Amino acid sequence: MGGGFVMIPLLVLWAGLGQKVANATSLVAIIPIAIAAVPIYYFRQGGAPQVDLRVALFLVIGSSIGAYLGARALKRIPERQLRIGVAVLMVLVGIKQVVVP
Amino acid sequence: MTLADFAAIAGGFLAGLLSGAIGIGGGLVFVPMLTIGFRVTQTIAQGTSLAAIVPTALVGGVTHLRHGNADVQAAVWVGAAGVLGAIGGALIAVHVESTLLARVFGVFYVACALLLLQRALTTRSEEPPAESS
Repeated sequence: MGGGFVMIPLLVLWAGLGQKVANATSLVAIIPIAIAAVPIYYFRQGGAPQVDLRVALFLVIGSSIGAYLGARALKRIPERQLRIGVAVLMVLVGIKQVVVP
Repeated sequence: MTLADFAAIAGGFLAGLLSGAIGIGGGLVFVPMLTIGFRVTQTIAQGTSLAAIVPTALVGGVTHLRHGNADVQAAVWVGAAGVLGAIGGALIAVHVESTLLARVFGVFYVACALLLLQRALTTRSEEPPAESS
């Protein structure tokens, strides 16, 4: 877990940021967290993380294009719909975590 | 290129769109996609997901910074707290059962989501004044 679902509600509910700013800020903050997670993952696994490099390469080709377009599209999504969408997604993921941890 | 490679690009694209717009890393989509769709083990799914999240967040995060979407000061604070949290979490995770930890986070997500939903439904649709353009 990158922590996006922890940072987004904190940024909105505690820091009082708008949903769009919170989403964008969360993704920027994930950069150092994800980089830090690599060595942590190393230690926890007691060896190199097992990575399917071929799948990772093709995932990244798709996800980089998607992330660029998604980040560009953020400004055009209405704030209210975005808030509801994020909240609904979080409820679903939360229920999934509780039922199938 | 095989059919699986194209499926990875398509799945990655969807995960990237969600990552860029919602502000999550993409592991939410990557891990189940890899275990269910690509039939890899949970360990390989998590390792591969982590490897894919770094460039995905870099592209999305830098795009947000270039477009002035993010609150840079908040990102520095939250990012630093997140790094400490990740280290702390790894230390705690050794002593606490992972399923319990996942459930605690699940309850936290639902509680936060309900607060967010309540706020979304009670506030007007106009942009909040704190919004930076």
